[in-house]
Amino acid sequence: MPDDTATITTTGTDDDLGEVTITRDFDFPREMLFAAFFDPEQLTHFWGPPGISTPVDKITIDARPGGVFATTMVDDASGAEYPNEGVFVEIVEPERFSWKEPSGMVTSSTLTDLGGGRTRLVIHQTNVPAMYRSAEALEGFNASLTRMAEYLATRPS
Amino acid sequence: MTDDQLSTTFAALADPTRRAILTRLAEGEASVNELAEPFPVSLQAISKHLKVLERAGLITRGRDAQWRPCRLEAAPLETASSWIDTQRQVWNHRLDQLDQHLKSLARTSKET
Repeated sequence: MPDDTATITTTGTDDDLGEVTITRDFDFPREMLFAAFFDPEQLTHFWGPPGISTPVDKITIDARPGGVFATTMVDDASGAEYPNEGVFVEIVEPERFSWKEPSGMVTSSTLTDLGGGRTRLVIHQTNVPAMYRSAEALEGFNASLTRMAEYLATRPS
Repeated sequence: MTDDQLSTTFAALADPTRRAILTRLAEGEASVNELAEPFPVSLQAISKHLKVLERAGLITRGRDAQWRPCRLEAAPLETASSWIDTQRQVWNHRLDQLDQHLKSLARTSKET
């Protein structure tokens, strides 16, 4: 593996508040995972949340730094469309890539070879908008908010 | 809810006294006097906190001039607390589907 540590873009904030990190191990080589993110024909199979499709003809992937990464998610039931457009910040095949959204939020994906054809994928969201950071700063409080909301729902109005 | 409204909600939630007031209101309606009781601050200070909470849509107040009970409104709280959780859910689901997709690709390439 080439030593390209120096090219890592620093996108972290001063604190860790509001940063979202998701880690997942796959029984597939990272080349396969990397390719899946950059091929609309593949992305369409896994991008949408439950009940939401991401039609292949509404995906734009211009795989170069500064290139557009655009998807439109379509609600299966209502047909409502949710367009998202970002710009690729960094693409280093097959080990990492990141894109930035208009809000300033950066989503970075790092693919680590675990050996034996296995890969660890870490998704890290940084520069999360301040209002969302505040939400996580209040995470402990959020638990009680949820209970509060449940309690309120059981009350006659 | 717009981003501006969310910001107002978060600003209102940033203060520990206001959070304590909301927690108390989760148990039921209360008057200003009742809300002020546990705090070592003036009634006036509590009234200011209540105005902030009211502007943020987190509480409503009764019409009765004497009693004016405060009541918790849950909707802005739910919106504010859900974004990070939603991000995690979306990505976890996405990665589940990615794994399924790659498994089906692997099966297909074995068959051909």
